[in-house]
Amino acid sequence: MSGKASSSQHTVSFSGSGGLSHVYVQYPPLQCRIPGSRGLYYDDGSKLLLAPTSNQVFSWKTVPFDPHVAPVSDTISEGPILSIRYSLDAKFIAIQRSSQELQIWHRESGGTFSHKCRSESESILGFFWTDCPLCDFVLVKTSGLDLLTCDYESKLLDLVETRRLNVSWYVYTHESRLVLLASGMQCKTFTGFQLSSAGVVRLPRFEMAMAKPEANNKPVLAAEDIYIVTVYGRIYCMQIDRVAMLLHSYRFYRDAVVQQGSLPIYSSKIAVSVVDNVLLVHQVDAKVVIIYDIFADSRAPISAPLPLLFRGFPRSNSSSSRFSGDESAEANIGDHEAIIYGDNWTFLVPDLVCDIANNLLWKIHLDLEAISASSSEVPSVLEFLQRRKLEANKAKQLCLAILRTVILERRPVSMVARAIDVLVSNYSHSIKTGSYLKGIKVEKTSVSSGEHVSSPRSTANISASGIDTLGKSYEHESGTRVEKESFNRSSNISTSDSEDGTHFESLKTTTRSLQKVDKVNILITESVSSEVQPSSSQNQRPGLGNNPLNASISERQELLLTSPAISPDEMYSFVFAPVEEEMVGEPSYLVSVIVEFLRSTNLEKIKVHPNLYVLTIQLLARNERYTELTLFIVNKVLEPSKEVAMQLLESGRQNFQIRKLGLDMVRHLSFHHDYVVLLVQDGYYLEALRYARKHKVNTVRPSMFLEAALASNDSQHLAAVLRFFSDFIPGFRDTSDHHTYHRILSEMNSAIAT
Amino acid sequence: MGLASANTSNEGMQLCVFDLRRGQLEGQELDKILFFFPADLPFSTQLSVIGLSEGLITFTRIFSPEAPCEVIEAERHSHVFYEAEPDIWMVMVVEKSKGLEVIWRIDALREVLKEVHSLFMMFNGSIRAMLEREPSGGVIRSHLYPFIMDYLSDFLVGKKLQLPSFRDCLTERGTVQMLTVGREAAIEVQSLVRVIESCAEAAPCYSLIFFQDLLVSTTVSPDDTINLFTYAVLRLTPRALSSGVSSWSYLRKGSTASHVAAGSTLAQSASVSEHLCRSHDNSPGQDDSYHVKRPLQHGRWAKGKDGFLITDIWGTDITSLITASPTIWLRQTGERMYLCAYQYKGLTLILLLPVSSILNGEQGVSLVKQRVLENASAKMLKVEEKLSKGWGGENAYHVSGYRYLLLDDDRNVSRASPPVKVTTLTKESLLAMNKLREEVDSIKSRAKRDGSEQEKDLEICIRAKNNAWVIAHTTRGKELYMVLEKANETLLYASDAVEKFSNRYCGGTFSLD
Repeated sequence: MSGKASSSQHTVSFSGSGGLSHVYVQYPPLQCRIPGSRGLYYDDGSKLLLAPTSNQVFSWKTVPFDPHVAPVSDTISEGPILSIRYSLDAKFIAIQRSSQELQIWHRESGGTFSHKCRSESESILGFFWTDCPLCDFVLVKTSGLDLLTCDYESKLLDLVETRRLNVSWYVYTHESRLVLLASGMQCKTFTGFQLSSAGVVRLPRFEMAMAKPEANNKPVLAAEDIYIVTVYGRIYCMQIDRVAMLLHSYRFYRDAVVQQGSLPIYSSKIAVSVVDNVLLVHQVDAKVVIIYDIFADSRAPISAPLPLLFRGFPRSNSSSSRFSGDESAEANIGDHEAIIYGDNWTFLVPDLVCDIANNLLWKIHLDLEAISASSSEVPSVLEFLQRRKLEANKAKQLCLAILRTVILERRPVSMVARAIDVLVSNYSHSIKTGSYLKGIKVEKTSVSSGEHVSSPRSTANISASGIDTLGKSYEHESGTRVEKESFNRSSNISTSDSEDGTHFESLKTTTRSLQKVDKVNILITESVSSEVQPSSSQNQRPGLGNNPLNASISERQELLLTSPAISPDEMYSFVFAPVEEEMVGEPSYLVSVIVEFLRSTNLEKIKVHPNLYVLTIQLLARNERYTELTLFIVNKVLEPSKEVAMQLLESGRQNFQIRKLGLDMVRHLSFHHDYVVLLVQDGYYLEALRYARKHKVNTVRPSMFLEAALASNDSQHLAAVLRFFSDFIPGFRDTSDHHTYHRILSEMNSAIAT
Repeated sequence: MGLASANTSNEGMQLCVFDLRRGQLEGQELDKILFFFPADLPFSTQLSVIGLSEGLITFTRIFSPEAPCEVIEAERHSHVFYEAEPDIWMVMVVEKSKGLEVIWRIDALREVLKEVHSLFMMFNGSIRAMLEREPSGGVIRSHLYPFIMDYLSDFLVGKKLQLPSFRDCLTERGTVQMLTVGREAAIEVQSLVRVIESCAEAAPCYSLIFFQDLLVSTTVSPDDTINLFTYAVLRLTPRALSSGVSSWSYLRKGSTASHVAAGSTLAQSASVSEHLCRSHDNSPGQDDSYHVKRPLQHGRWAKGKDGFLITDIWGTDITSLITASPTIWLRQTGERMYLCAYQYKGLTLILLLPVSSILNGEQGVSLVKQRVLENASAKMLKVEEKLSKGWGGENAYHVSGYRYLLLDDDRNVSRASPPVKVTTLTKESLLAMNKLREEVDSIKSRAKRDGSEQEKDLEICIRAKNNAWVIAHTTRGKELYMVLEKANETLLYASDAVEKFSNRYCGGTFSLD
């Protein structure tokens, strides 16, 4: 990493402290230069970057981010373009032509129609497409919201519902499905609507806090000061208070908006991004970024403020291109690099940066390696890494490496134990969520169990919630009713569940509706998606890659496939086995660590690979700690298995007691054949015969017993063994074994006689 | 009246320790006597006991140089021999009387000798080494006398010494009783062990953990485990601490009177000890220069404020007024270790720190103690809670219908029916069991003499006169003794009962056919 950093340090002089950084943008960016372009538009609903020209629209897919993606073009008619968005199913293009007029374009046929405001007094502030079951198009006007459905057959947008209120400006992100409407003198009074697939939820009106600089000077809140942020499935709103130099955060619940505390800011210009559920607060003037992981209640930044870094920039190219002065891509970037956090940077939701001047789109990445290297608090670093989903594999590798290092460095066992706890409990949760995904049964029970405890409301409410939990979707009910009932229900559930279930939000989608950190309230997006999903919404819109709901589902599946969770098997092969090889000196430290690992897995009821037990036996035996090894086996700290038994027999060469433990284990596990063979090998051939007869083992060759009996030089025993086989194996008398040993026996007897 | 005078030669027992390498010249015979009980016996009588023993040892050595003499059965006495160290012998003479109460098992008596010697070694090192350091023998005598007297005081019931008799045939001295723990608790215990042992940092140390009077975990060798277990149960566990009485008294009969008796005995024996030393010590001045530790003395351990057990047995540093930390010798490694005992509720914890690697002596020890408190307190709490939750109380290992003793010779672990349950057996059953155990003992010792590596399987079922089944079953280092009273009369029933017990409680060890 340092190598890369230094290469860019050459050109980026201000990257300061040795190119150290936790956040970077990766070269190359997506280039969106189109001749004759009339500006760039980002449609977060369809996740497209749009560049309209006079008669065409070029669109680039930004998810998944591929800098070399080719634009798709659509022909449109000429005219002014104030705003442009593609419908979620990508069939239509909506273009705002003026403050009064919208134009809808059918891509397939090229057909078009217009939609105009009814009265001259209102003007359009903006619009967006939605996957709400009520409507598929929302128009935000100064006079309120219009919920519309797009009816192409009759070439019009049908008005479904209108919400009247004065709007100064609005903020919407498709991710949260939340539209915040600002009103009032200072524009600090907000009304929110969530247009989710469960219907329209109206949030209670709330005010944002703003510090006053002087008595009669009231600052006005601007749309740029508000960011809707979605992390770990929760919705927050970040509000910049330039006077107090604070970034206030509000968390949205279904029936409340709760201020969550504030983060300090060090720049008058602030931008907020979210990468993999990590909150990045760009201090644009200071040209640094501070990162927060607001999973827990902690408001402490993960690390010190550090600059944003360019990565993978080819140095030689940049220098040559400077001389050429060409309009080549490299030249653009070269120029651009000097103006990181420049005025042209527009931050797009959630993790994109658009350089409008140079027509470049960058994606912001977290440098997990650098972040994990910058903290010495190993358990919390591991927790942070375990929450990362975007680069799950990298996070996982880092976790493994960190654990290996702390063990090799022989850090205090208590600390290593905490680190192990983090990894094991995370694995256990990922297993549990896996099971959650398979059946909705779990969800049902969890919701209904909530009901038992709750019921501060009337019985009617409870019965309503009962229907919901049985899987009825909202589509059958009218919009207003849905809204009302869902409110009631949410408070019902929430009161009951306030104490538990607050921890695993990012993982348990099905229980998200039950999780609320601050009592009473419910969180919106998640509850919605989990309740109606997967039955209704998926069936409704099959096969839409860009449908964010589907996207969230696929995200969850990806979590299962490539979650950073580390299984006990991996723990063995990537931590304990390599560490054991590298470790020098007393192995008792490693045994301590393994004991802690066993404690942790036992707590989470996770099975441990027998290889780890085998390793533990080897370590203890090598150190001649046989007393402890015996206790480990007797108390089943090392669970019985054939591998363990074999290792005990192996280690038992030095200590007979250990060998006996191995023998006992073989017997307990009912490996009858092995047990008989082992008994014979130890010279207990008579016992072996008895055992073989009792457990009907007939796979051991008679000659083995006979040889053992002969070796003991006891003619009586030999005779007994011979007799045993003659009696119990039909036809034994005719075998060569019988003849041989019969002769030997008679020789022995005659020798005694003489 | 205490121990010394309560037992005269014509009632009960004599116990002596002597060194065959000493006093070989005419007129110096007294020199070989290192210990004699009762001490007030005339020297001539003492010498005649020792002379007889010595003669027999010399004579039997001709035939069996390795294992000379184990026991003499005379008409009225039994002489039990134990060669504690090369040429250092312990002989116990017990009187055979007509009464039933004094029917012994010789091996059980020998175990008493073995135990007191092992304990002595643990605290003082070997007798031979002490003799080599101080050839006059004054030091060893002044150490042995109070030590053995303190030890014997535990056998005092009323005013009489009560040695292990046939009533104790379902117990085994010199073994460890363990607590059965589940996996989860076992892991917690192991985790605690690691934390405690890491408190000594680089020094390689050991630990034992007890719950009530049962061992939970040990990291020392089996021999050392037995010694420390014995000592802990005698003097350190909560029961031992609170009563001041040997917790073993409940194993024998549970007499509360012994406490008082023991107290007076101690005073008595101490004075006798002085008397003894003065009476035939070559250098009386030596006595004062050595601090004679009496680790078996009653009431010398107490629980300190910080949870660590404190004692002044090892003396007090006069300058700092800090009591010296106890030290013991490990048998297996020969290392001298500091012994730190910590107690939390039913949990007793012994941490052994090598004297050689603890710098600054007492300061170093208290530093380690401090670290134990800091690092392990929470874990100990948790372990105690877990163990007491899982503990079934004193009668946890009672199996109804059975009176049993289960021995694991390899691990030196035993488990038996609780004493209160054993006492419900009739005398006849116990006598039969005692007899059967003697039989098995002799078979075992014969096999050992023959040098056979193989451990023989053995199964004996006896129908006793009172129609009880008395059963012995040994297999590959494990022994099971069992009394079934009021049982069905068929042999099949008896062997079924063993099989059931074995499958249920011994992992099927005794049900091979």
